[in-house]
Amino acid sequence: MHNNSEKNNSAHSRRRIAGLIIPTAIFALAILTVGVLLYRIYLVRQGQEGDEKSFDRYYVMITDDLKSSFWQSVYSGAQSTALDKNVFVELLGSNLSYDYTPEELMEIAISSHVDGIMVYGGETERMKELIDEASQKGIPVVTMYSDNPNSQRCSFVGVSGYNMGREYGRQVTDVLREKKRLSYNGATSNGEEEPPIGITMLVDKNMSSSDQNVIMSGLKDSLSGEENGTGYDIRTMAVDNSNPFSVEESIRDVFMEENIPDILICLNELDTTCAYQAAIDYNMVGSVYILGYYDSDKILNAISRNVVFSSVAIDTNELGSFCVEALEEYNESGNTSQYFTADITLIDRNNVSQFMTKEEPADVE
Amino acid sequence: MLSKLRSLPLSYKISGIYILANLFIFIVDILLLWGINSMSVDMEMTYQDNRHLNELLLSLDSVQDAMTGYLNAKTTDSLSDYYISEQHYSELVNELGTEITDRPYGRMERNIKNMSADYLDDVSKTIEAKRGRNVEKYRVHYEDATRLYEYIKTYIRSLNSEQFVTNSQMYTSLARSFRIFEFFAIIIMFAVLVGSALIIIRITGALIDPLKQLSESADEVANGNLDATLPKSTYDDEIGKLTSAFGKMMVSIKEYIERIRMSMEKERIMQEKELMMETHLKDAQLKYLQAQINPHFLFNTLNAGAQLAMMEGADRTYEYVQTVADFFRYNVKKQDEMVNLEEEVELVDNYIRILNVRFSGDIHYEKQVDERLLKVRMPSMILQPIVENAVNHGIREMGDKGHIFLRVYRDLDRICVSVRDNGKGMSSEDIDKVVGGKWKYEEQVGDSNGIGMDNVIARLRLYCERDDVINIYSEGEDLGTEVIIYLPLTDEVIKKDV
Repeated sequence: MHNNSEKNNSAHSRRRIAGLIIPTAIFALAILTVGVLLYRIYLVRQGQEGDEKSFDRYYVMITDDLKSSFWQSVYSGAQSTALDKNVFVELLGSNLSYDYTPEELMEIAISSHVDGIMVYGGETERMKELIDEASQKGIPVVTMYSDNPNSQRCSFVGVSGYNMGREYGRQVTDVLREKKRLSYNGATSNGEEEPPIGITMLVDKNMSSSDQNVIMSGLKDSLSGEENGTGYDIRTMAVDNSNPFSVEESIRDVFMEENIPDILICLNELDTTCAYQAAIDYNMVGSVYILGYYDSDKILNAISRNVVFSSVAIDTNELGSFCVEALEEYNESGNTSQYFTADITLIDRNNVSQFMTKEEPADVE
Repeated sequence: MLSKLRSLPLSYKISGIYILANLFIFIVDILLLWGINSMSVDMEMTYQDNRHLNELLLSLDSVQDAMTGYLNAKTTDSLSDYYISEQHYSELVNELGTEITDRPYGRMERNIKNMSADYLDDVSKTIEAKRGRNVEKYRVHYEDATRLYEYIKTYIRSLNSEQFVTNSQMYTSLARSFRIFEFFAIIIMFAVLVGSALIIIRITGALIDPLKQLSESADEVANGNLDATLPKSTYDDEIGKLTSAFGKMMVSIKEYIERIRMSMEKERIMQEKELMMETHLKDAQLKYLQAQINPHFLFNTLNAGAQLAMMEGADRTYEYVQTVADFFRYNVKKQDEMVNLEEEVELVDNYIRILNVRFSGDIHYEKQVDERLLKVRMPSMILQPIVENAVNHGIREMGDKGHIFLRVYRDLDRICVSVRDNGKGMSSEDIDKVVGGKWKYEEQVGDSNGIGMDNVIARLRLYCERDDVINIYSEGEDLGTEVIIYLPLTDEVIKKDV
């Protein structure tokens, strides 16, 4: 009996001690777990920033305008192709605090020992030297959109200037037709000799004369095929792009001359944008037909509003993609095709809606 | 494990609890401190990249300055400056990464590294050409180097500002994490504080609880309840020992009390014995007196007298002498023995007969005896002294008017033997004295048998083992006295009765 009670007693005290130790242990464990969890959450948060992918090769793209949507589009085309091949393409200069010219960027690229360069630099002598230097140092160079045929570039990726000229020629014919229709309907049909139609083509100062000539011949070929009796006068006008805002000024000069051209052909995105803005500002919408270039939101908007008559769009993604493919091919096999040609598309008010639905319409006045 | 814990001394337990609680708080603090420390290290490291880049920029400047200085003045100082700064710059540049990643920093670092190699190459060529005084060559190299210097500077600055932006973002998020951590740290510390306080209170409460119960039991004992329930000793620590010691103490107190009771009992028995000693002393005195006469001589003499009387035909004398002889024989023989009531009654008869011869039949003796009770055992020499008292102190001076009544009867569970006289009676004080045993019989007065009432009462009490063995009634002066002794009703008497 006594023994029994002692046993009960010891069992009771054991339960009691357990009752004290277990909550203590649980409490301690809970606190420590919370602490460790907090710290882990913190570490995971820290670790999130550390994820980066590394690449086998490093190509750079050099253009004269880092922010233009044309080059951005080319770049994204190049980049998407490059990522598949574990190559990184950088739009050189986009991270730098100073705006360098394409030549300077070429120097940087060369001394940075990149694996490949795609450059839009025109046909200047300095650019030729730099391309040659790069290729001597084993860096393949692809010229984009505008060739430097005398240099040791490995390939040129662009559009066919002749085709482009022909496309512009067809547009010019359309414009002439429309003008004629308007003049028949209007009061000017008094038998007087109509003045010849003024056509001005805006060209970059550093665009090679051969490029210009190719486009021009395409244009002329197209016009001569369509004999319509009306005379025309084709001129070229060099746009000064030597400093940041000179392009806009040069184009405004066109509108301030006495002989304002009837048709203005623009061969790049910026020229097109500046021209249509100037046409609006000088109230020339309807009297100056702008044949634009590229399919940025602003330009598409302008086409839908009849400010720009039509625009020739290049498949920019294809252009960028060809550049990367050319470089890859050269790096792998030591040579590549000398020419790659990207497709061109005409955009006028008949099909502009298709392009506009592709991209979100931009907020343009 | 648990039993080991239980048997730890109290001081160990209490200090153990405090040490454990403090240890726990310490560990939690250390963990929090460690967290805070690693976070602050992270925060310090945030702008580490910027510091490196600034260092790199300074180093680049010093290379350029050294080169320009050498080209300007061609001093050995500037040349050694160049070597030192070139060495330093190469070391810094070597730390830069070369990996091509989708993050701009890595690529920029790579470009800086490659350009720096070209730059240092150009610079050394410039220095070489300058040493060789090849003016045209060093000018070209200088221009190349300077151009690269500008590019590198731009790169470093751009990288610096890019990193500054991201580092600032990181710093902000770190600072936010830090604040959150701080908040939780305060909550955790508070929880630890409250928790350990609660645990200490519970554990010490559990340790002290038996002590509380013990003090309650002690209070109860102090209030006189020796049978208070003692708390069970749960732990084997000091409190447990105290509790069991208290329990043992309670047991020994009880034992001690029992012992005292026993010794008191013994003392009582001793007193009784003392009383008996006194009795025996009296008996001894009596025997001494008796021994003064040779009983055999006395009996032989008396027998001779009796035979003489018979031969002479004096029957009454013969009877008288025979009675006297019987009386004294009884006195001598049965002094210490247990006898039947019958014998005692017979002795009284003889005694009265002798007295009546002496006092010429003055005493009127009547007896009323229940014969069934005569076999009861009792001490000898009880009735005769009572009757003697009744004669000597009651009716002696009454002449022939004195009456003695002897009655033996049963009263419930006891036998009553009453000796009544019609003498001068007793005062109630005297009765009290006699019954209380305080009446000392005056030694050897008159012609007494020598046995006093106190002796009679004491022996009766010893025999019956109770106090109410005698009652004395007297209704006043000259109204007589009745002495009643009570004897226990023994089994044999009852049997006979049945």
